[in-house]
Amino acid sequence: MRLACPHCGPRDYSEFRYGGDASKQRPPHGTTGHGTGDLQTWHDFVFLFDNPKGPHLEYWQHVLGCRRWFTLTRNTATNEVGEPK
Amino acid sequence: MLERRSALAVAHPFAWAALTLGEVRGFTLTQVAGFGNFAADVAATAGALPETSNQAVESNGRTIFRTGPHAFWFVGPENDDLAARLAGKAIVTPLSSSRTRISIEGRAAREVLRKGIPIDLHESVFTPGMFAQTGLHHTPVLLHCTAEQRFELYAMRTFALNVWEWLEDAALEFK
Amino acid sequence: MTFRRLPSGGRIDRNRPVGFTLDGKRYRGFAGDTLASALLANDVTLVGRSFKYHRPRGIMSAGVEEPNALFTLHDGARTEANMPGTIVDLIDGLTARTQNAWPSVELDVMGINQLAAPLFQSGFYYKTFMGPTKGAWMFYEPFIRRAAGLGAATEAADPDRYETRFDFCDVLVIGSGAAGLAAALSAAGGGGRVLLVEQDSALGGGLLSEPEQDGWLQARLGEIRNASNIQALTHTTAIGLYDDNMVVLVERHDHRQPDPAKGQARQVLTMLQAKAIVFATGAIERPLVFANNDRPGVMLASAVRTYLNRFGVAPTGRAVIATNNDTAYAAAFDLAAQGVEVIVADSRTEIPADLQRRNSIEILAGTSVVDVKGKNTLHAVLDGAEQRTITCDVVGMSGGWSPVVHLTSHGGIKPVYNAAIAGFVPGGFAKTHSGAGAVMGTFGLNAAIREGAAAGGGSIAIAAAGGEDRPYAIVPTWMPPRRKGKAFVDFQNDVTAKDIKNAHQEGYHSVEHLKRYTTLGMGTDQGKTSNIIALAEMAELRGLPIEQAGTTTFRPPYTGVSLGAIAGRTIGGHFRPTRRSPLHDWHAANGGVFIEAGLWQRAWYYRWAGDTPESAYVKEMGLVRRGVGISDVSTLGKIDVQGPDAAEFLNRVYVNGFAKLPVGKARYGVMLNDDGIVLDDGTTTRISETQFYMTTTTAQAGEVMSWLEFLLQTQWTDLKVQVASLTDEWAGMAISGPKARAALELAFPGVDVSDAKLPYMGCLDFSFDGVPIRLLRLSFSGELAYEVHLSADYAISLWEHFLKTGASLGLKPYGLEALASLRIEKGHVAGLELDHRNTLDDLGLGKMAGKEKDYVGKALRQRPMYQAPERWSLVGLELLEPEKRLRGGAILFAKDDKIEGHGRGYITSVTWSVELGKTIALALYNGGLKHVGEEIVCAFPLKNELTRAKIVSPHFIDPEGKRLHA
Ligand SMILES: [Zn+2]
Repeated sequence: MRLACPHCGPRDYSEFRYGGDASKQRPPHGTTGHGTGDLQTWHDFVFLFDNPKGPHLEYWQHVLGCRRWFTLTRNTATNEVGEPK
Repeated sequence: MLERRSALAVAHPFAWAALTLGEVRGFTLTQVAGFGNFAADVAATAGALPETSNQAVESNGRTIFRTGPHAFWFVGPENDDLAARLAGKAIVTPLSSSRTRISIEGRAAREVLRKGIPIDLHESVFTPGMFAQTGLHHTPVLLHCTAEQRFELYAMRTFALNVWEWLEDAALEFK
Repeated sequence: MTFRRLPSGGRIDRNRPVGFTLDGKRYRGFAGDTLASALLANDVTLVGRSFKYHRPRGIMSAGVEEPNALFTLHDGARTEANMPGTIVDLIDGLTARTQNAWPSVELDVMGINQLAAPLFQSGFYYKTFMGPTKGAWMFYEPFIRRAAGLGAATEAADPDRYETRFDFCDVLVIGSGAAGLAAALSAAGGGGRVLLVEQDSALGGGLLSEPEQDGWLQARLGEIRNASNIQALTHTTAIGLYDDNMVVLVERHDHRQPDPAKGQARQVLTMLQAKAIVFATGAIERPLVFANNDRPGVMLASAVRTYLNRFGVAPTGRAVIATNNDTAYAAAFDLAAQGVEVIVADSRTEIPADLQRRNSIEILAGTSVVDVKGKNTLHAVLDGAEQRTITCDVVGMSGGWSPVVHLTSHGGIKPVYNAAIAGFVPGGFAKTHSGAGAVMGTFGLNAAIREGAAAGGGSIAIAAAGGEDRPYAIVPTWMPPRRKGKAFVDFQNDVTAKDIKNAHQEGYHSVEHLKRYTTLGMGTDQGKTSNIIALAEMAELRGLPIEQAGTTTFRPPYTGVSLGAIAGRTIGGHFRPTRRSPLHDWHAANGGVFIEAGLWQRAWYYRWAGDTPESAYVKEMGLVRRGVGISDVSTLGKIDVQGPDAAEFLNRVYVNGFAKLPVGKARYGVMLNDDGIVLDDGTTTRISETQFYMTTTTAQAGEVMSWLEFLLQTQWTDLKVQVASLTDEWAGMAISGPKARAALELAFPGVDVSDAKLPYMGCLDFSFDGVPIRLLRLSFSGELAYEVHLSADYAISLWEHFLKTGASLGLKPYGLEALASLRIEKGHVAGLELDHRNTLDDLGLGKMAGKEKDYVGKALRQRPMYQAPERWSLVGLELLEPEKRLRGGAILFAKDDKIEGHGRGYITSVTWSVELGKTIALALYNGGLKHVGEEIVCAFPLKNELTRAKIVSPHFIDPEGKRLHA
């Protein structure tokens, strides 16, 4: 599989590390209150994922290269990947 | 008196007909990064900076690699004072000890590198002046093509001897 | 059944005789032979016994599809089992052995399996060994394994060398028959980099067996040689097609007799990235299914022709060609031209007129071979329009052709049935793929050339071959005629037409079930000659058109691949990368004994202190507790954190506050993951308002670096912070013990390292001999201690300087074992305790967390489950039975618990305490320090040990920290 790093261009997948589902927004910093009010928000972000067959927005890092983190859409059934962002 | 010692102090450089493996010592590697328009300030001090992620620029006695959208590597002579001159203008991190610079030269050089590096190393594609940040034997390396048949490999210092041993083994058929 | 070498002809080099042995008997062949062709030339026609029934078998094919003629090659550590003799280049001194026969192929006692045949019918394993009779497998397995099988692998290490490599091209052409050659030349005309791969020992594909087209072939091969942008590889198989046009190629060099000592690889595996791929993989002839179609001497018609034309080996007297299509006539005519008497039994009633016009052969229309009898002489039983039995040397059979759609299907595109050729063709192509020639069901030579030229881009014209293409006609026959006797479909796995009927009767209708129920296609040949027949038979039994029966899934590898080729040079010392500290060479030269810690080679202990780790580390601990020692801590992760928002950033990633850390001060910090679990700990020092020097544990350095980059690049993009790894740039050494300050004073005269100037958790940057030194007053051991960090290039020089100047204090090095043991005494958690399941509170660090500020992991840290009182948390243990041992991993039970299950916790770290004179440990225990003072039982089932211990505070020494602040 080839992935395109936004800085370096297309490279072999072995230069990258997978960083998980990028389809959900991580709760912003500073919003964790002093109690447990936002526990559910964080719980859902950390533990609940869709497992789609088809397009999936993902984080990847060009870990052996320029170390950029980026997102791209990968089809989980075919490994077709879209443009990195 | 403190003395410098290379990570390859125990390695044995060799020169065969098809391949020469050696180390380039005595250089200053300075990583320069920043925010906003830092590149303009850096260019004012250090000269024109490369625009692309795969073509090194030679400028003021230094080789400059664009290693990220907001980061550069400057490889200068042994006592380069670039870090001091850029202080306050950019985020400067001296990295001279962190990388070991291995030279690979000869007609077998590209084939030896192909055994570990997953980028297109064909003479028509990876031409002199080009570089790539990539992997070799699971470790990050920066590979710089300095001439048709000559390359410099910047390996992580703590992996350098192992990368050297790996190259030596890969080269065996060309002895 | 006799064969002989013709006095002339073929592509063998008669000036280069080659000697080889089979089962110890010497034979001769020629360079250019395969093992199979040389055996046939020597009239060796019985070459093995079948998998289950031990039936005598001969050579069936002339290629990779060979199911029968499998040999064990070479001796000793080079032993290689199950190699089809049809693809083995004959090299001088080759030793081959037949398989699955004892004492010999001629006299095989296991032939008795034929009598026990019902045992081995389809579904045998399932019926016999599943369900209530499962236990029977244990009893029968040794017998079955011995009785049914293939060659045995050697257990010795492979002495040969294998390479893996990466490569790239514009156009990859797979297969070098007419279509492939045309495609390669056409693609090269477009200027791209063309790679042409051929699994055979020579380029040409089917043309190698067609002397009449040799002029065209030689002309094209000349053009290929002259094209600077075509690289042509023989002996190279494209074994798999993977995502994004990655094709794995395996090139075999056995014919060059490579010398591993000279670095010559026996096989080279290339991971090829191709911009475009042309599949010109050809087609494989199918056998006909009739009784005893597996007798030695019954071969594929195309193979008979290949042995004749390419290798100059012919049957001596009479040949019967059994066919249902036109192609077998080529073999018939060529045999006749060599003086062989040929009778063609063609099951079709109508035979194209142009085939009948040639009168050198006898054609029996509407006639099939239904049985073959005989052992040394074959008697082909004909039925249909003509009914007679013909004595002959060979039966050449052709059931039609199966295009080699394997690779084209690896990407998930299923092949589709083409009724006109009675075979499956590619069901489509990805954008950058195309096919040409027989793989597309195109069997005419000039049509294949035209398709190849078009697939290669069509930029230049490719010369046509001589003669006109004649249309291909077939009337498929799948089911065997009703006769007694086994009619084989899968020769290698001994699957008969009757087995397929059984599967159908028992409801295993889908091809995937059929395959697993009968083991069809599961041999080393992966059913190249059998799969299509079987599914056609199943379709017929089910009354479905073939296209509705479907095919099984084609998966890599196309042909067998040695494990060596996959491993390449990733073996021995290169199994994984090795990481060495900047001080490594010193340790190696001065009695350091190394231990692997992750990828690192770390100094475990030093010979000055003892010859075993057990004796050495205790002495080294004593050195630190009573004097002063120096230790290599360069493996710690080190990160440069710079930028106007650096303090804010650290304040977010650490649970404790870093915003107000004064310049020149270090602070111990702990990081959590988003899920509230501890990620890592370490000390971070403020160098300036905008710069911090972070350290991480050795184990988590890479993980922490990536995590910081993730947060900065994707989450907190408004923060102006840059991080850079300094792990390789800076070396670190710990100077520890009551005399540590004295050692520094001796090493750095003129530098004020007094407690006032450099208090506990202080940092001092200075220059020594022109080299920047960072001196941190930190302690992992609990003693007065410092860490000295400097550019890795100078590490050994400074280390030696310390040893020299500190000699009067008795300064000596201590290793990882002592380092780890000292911290156990102090109760510092490390990697063994941080098991990615514990919270801050579990480790007794809950009080560190900032109450007012937000930090990573704060929300989920407060999950009720993480607040439960009965969590496994950190305790100390003291051994109560001095004659016994505590062991890492021991399971902990309360005194009166029944010793079973997961217990109440486990021991993470154990050491002998120099200070206390007893064995102590750190452990995670249910309820933690609530149980201080209780006696527990440590169970170590692997050694059947039960040991009593007492729960104590994990801070075994100096709980007030007086020494740190000395
Ligand atoms: Zn990159």
